[in-house]
Amino acid sequence: MSTVAEPTLNICHIYPEVLNLYGDRGNIRCLQKRLEWRGLDCTVSELKLGEQKDLSPYDLFFIGGGQDFDQAVLLEDLRAGKGEELKAAVEDGKTFLCICGGYQMMGHYYETHDGQRDEFLGAVDFYTVGGDTRMIGNYAFRLGAESGGSTVVGFENHSGRTFLGSGVQPLGTVLKGFGNNGEDGTEGVRYKNVFGSYSHGPILPKNPAFTDFLLTTALERKYGSAVLEPLADRFEHEAHDRVLERVLHEK
Amino acid sequence: MAYKHNPVTTFLAIAGAKMTRWLLHKLHRGGTALPGRVAMFFDKNLLDKVSEGMEVIVVTGTNGKTTTCNMIETAMSEAGKDTIANKAGSNMLLGITLEFADNATLSGKPKKHYAVMECDEGALKQVTPLCNPKVIVVTNLFRDQLDRYGTVKNVRDQIRTGVELSPESVVCLNADCSNVASIGKDLANKVLYYGLDVPVGDQENVDVSDAPDCIICGTPYEYKYHTYAHLGGFSCPNCGYARPAAQVAVKNIVKAEATGTTVNVEFSAAGEPKTQEVRIGLPAVFNVYNAAATLCAFEGAGFDRAEAIASLAQVQSAFGRMETYDLDGVPMQMILVKNPASMDQAMGYVVGLEQDYNLVMGLNNHISDGTDVSWLWDAHFKVCEDPHLGKVIVSGECAEDLKKRLMDGGLSEDRIQHIPDDATIIEKCRASKLPVFILPNYTYMMTLRESLGAVTGNASLWEV
Repeated sequence: MSTVAEPTLNICHIYPEVLNLYGDRGNIRCLQKRLEWRGLDCTVSELKLGEQKDLSPYDLFFIGGGQDFDQAVLLEDLRAGKGEELKAAVEDGKTFLCICGGYQMMGHYYETHDGQRDEFLGAVDFYTVGGDTRMIGNYAFRLGAESGGSTVVGFENHSGRTFLGSGVQPLGTVLKGFGNNGEDGTEGVRYKNVFGSYSHGPILPKNPAFTDFLLTTALERKYGSAVLEPLADRFEHEAHDRVLERVLHEK
Repeated sequence: MAYKHNPVTTFLAIAGAKMTRWLLHKLHRGGTALPGRVAMFFDKNLLDKVSEGMEVIVVTGTNGKTTTCNMIETAMSEAGKDTIANKAGSNMLLGITLEFADNATLSGKPKKHYAVMECDEGALKQVTPLCNPKVIVVTNLFRDQLDRYGTVKNVRDQIRTGVELSPESVVCLNADCSNVASIGKDLANKVLYYGLDVPVGDQENVDVSDAPDCIICGTPYEYKYHTYAHLGGFSCPNCGYARPAAQVAVKNIVKAEATGTTVNVEFSAAGEPKTQEVRIGLPAVFNVYNAAATLCAFEGAGFDRAEAIASLAQVQSAFGRMETYDLDGVPMQMILVKNPASMDQAMGYVVGLEQDYNLVMGLNNHISDGTDVSWLWDAHFKVCEDPHLGKVIVSGECAEDLKKRLMDGGLSEDRIQHIPDDATIIEKCRASKLPVFILPNYTYMMTLRESLGAVTGNASLWEV
C-alpha cells in the first residue's frame, strides 16, 4: 500500500532583498504559521535579482512592495527571462500574492505624470499612472465573493493610480480609504489565482480569513481539493475586528 | 541676520509667545504649538532674529537625536556654558523658534549664548537658514515613519538640502551609515566624520537592510565589518563610494557592561592624531555612536574635548531612553522604540543581558508616532525566542498589533496579556518577581512615564 504524502506547500518569495518595505515579509511568516498550526508542511524559497530557477515546484508566489529607486533594476531583471516564467506560472493557475509595487509590476505599464512609460510584466490586464498626490493611510475593503467575501484591513501608501482592464475583477470594494485610484471604489485585482493589492500592514497577519482563502486556493490547485481545518482563531478575529473598527472610525 | 525684522513685530511675536505660554501654564496645559504659532504669526522668520550671534548646534537623524542632544547639552552646561535646548521634544520649526523666543528679551536679543537643538529630519531645511548653526550633526538614517517621511533616500536628500542652505556650518556625519556619509560627498561645508573603526560583538549581515545598495550607483555594498543594522565598514565594488575615514574614530572597545561602555577614541581632525580613553555612562552600541557624535560636535565647534569626556562618564539617560525606575524593589527600565532599528537594538540589549525578565510593550499610532504600524513586521522580535523571557503585557491603542506580532514570532497566547490602563500595569509590575523592561513608542511612553514617575517619585533629569 502506498502512503500518501502529507500536503506540502512550496512558497516562493520573489525579490526579498529589494521588495521588503512595510513589513511585507510578515506575510510569509503568517502563511508559514497558519500551515504549521494545522500540522501542514511548507517550504519557503527566495528568488533574488540575477537568479534563475525552475518555477514549476512552487505553489504560491509572494511579491512585496519596494522603494521607488529600486524599480529600474527590477525591470531589467524581469526582462532577462524571469518575466516570461512568471507569466507562464500565472496562466498555469499558480497562486500569487502581489503587494503595492509588486502588484503594479504585474500590470501592463506605469506611466509617470510627465508621460514617460515603463513597460511592466503585462501578466494581468491593468495599468498604473503616476499621480501628484500620495494616497496614504490605514484603509479597509471587502473582498469580492470569488475571493472569499471577507473584510480586509491594511495600510496603503502609493501615488500610482491603477485602472483595471475588462478581463479582470477587482480584488475588493473600498470601505474606507483610496484603493486602486481613489475614484472608482475598487481595490486590487483578481485574475485567475493572482491576488494583487495595495495593502501593506502587512496584509495577512491581521486578515486570517483572507490568508486561509489564499492557502486553500493554492492547495486546491495542487491537490484538487482542500479543506483547511478551522483554527481556534478567537484572538486573530478579535484583532481583525478591532483594527477594522479603529480604521473605519479614523478621521 | 539674513532677514529684515521690524522691532514692533519682533516685540509682538516674542511677547505674544511668552504670554500664550504663560497662560497655558496657568491653565495647567503644556504644549508648544499655540505659542509657537503666535510667534510665527507676527514674524515667520523670528528664529533668525532671536538666534542672532548665538553658537548653535543642531542634531538630526532617525535615531539618537534626543540622547545625543542630551549628551552635548549636559557637557556644555557642566563646562559653564549657558545653554538652551528643546528638551520637551518639539523639534519642528515652530517648537525650535519658541525655545529661542523664550530665551530672548522682548527686543529679540538672546540671553544665553549657546543652544543645542534637536531637529526633525524634514524640518532641517527650514531651520538651518534661519539659525545658521555652528555645527550640524547627522546621527543615522533608518526607515522610519514611511507614511510621514517617505523613503530613506528622500529623507537623505532633504537633509542634504538643509546642510547646503547653511554653508558655514561644520557638518558632523556618521561615517558608518552609508546614507548619512553620502551627504558629505562634494559638499561645500567643512565635514567631520565620526564612527567605529572596529566591529562590535558578532554582528553579521542583516537580512533586511535599510541600505543594501550603493546610494550612488545601486550596486550591493560589500562590508569589511558590521557594527549594527546597516552600519559598518561599507564599500561599493562598482563606483568606489566607501566609508570615509573618521576624524573621531572609536579604535577599540575596552569594556562593555550593563552600566556603560569604555572605548578608545582617536581624534585626528586637527594636529597630531591623539588617542584617549572615554567612558560612556550608558550601555549599548547605539550610545557609543551618540557619544562619538557628541565628541565630534565638540571638535566641530572648537570646544574643549576634555569637557565632553568628563561629562560622558556621568551621562544620564534622556526622557524614556533607558530610564530606570525602582518600583518598590522591582527594577524597571524603559527603552523607547519607534522604528525597526530601535526595536531590534532594544530587544538585542534586553536579550543580551541573559537574565530572566518580564516585558511591557505599548504602542499608539498618533500622528507623531506614525499612524502605520506595519514596521513591527520589519523588526526581528528576538524576545519571542528568548528563554529568559517571562510574561508580556501589551497595551496602547495598537495592543492587538503587538500581540499579533509576538504570536507570529512564536510566543504562545497565554504568555501575553492585554492590559489597557496604566494603573493595572503598574500593579502587575509591582508584583513581578523579575526585573521588568518597558518598550513603549513615543506617545505611549509619554503617558506611562508620567504614571510611573508619580508612583516611583522619579523626577526626570531631562524635562522642562
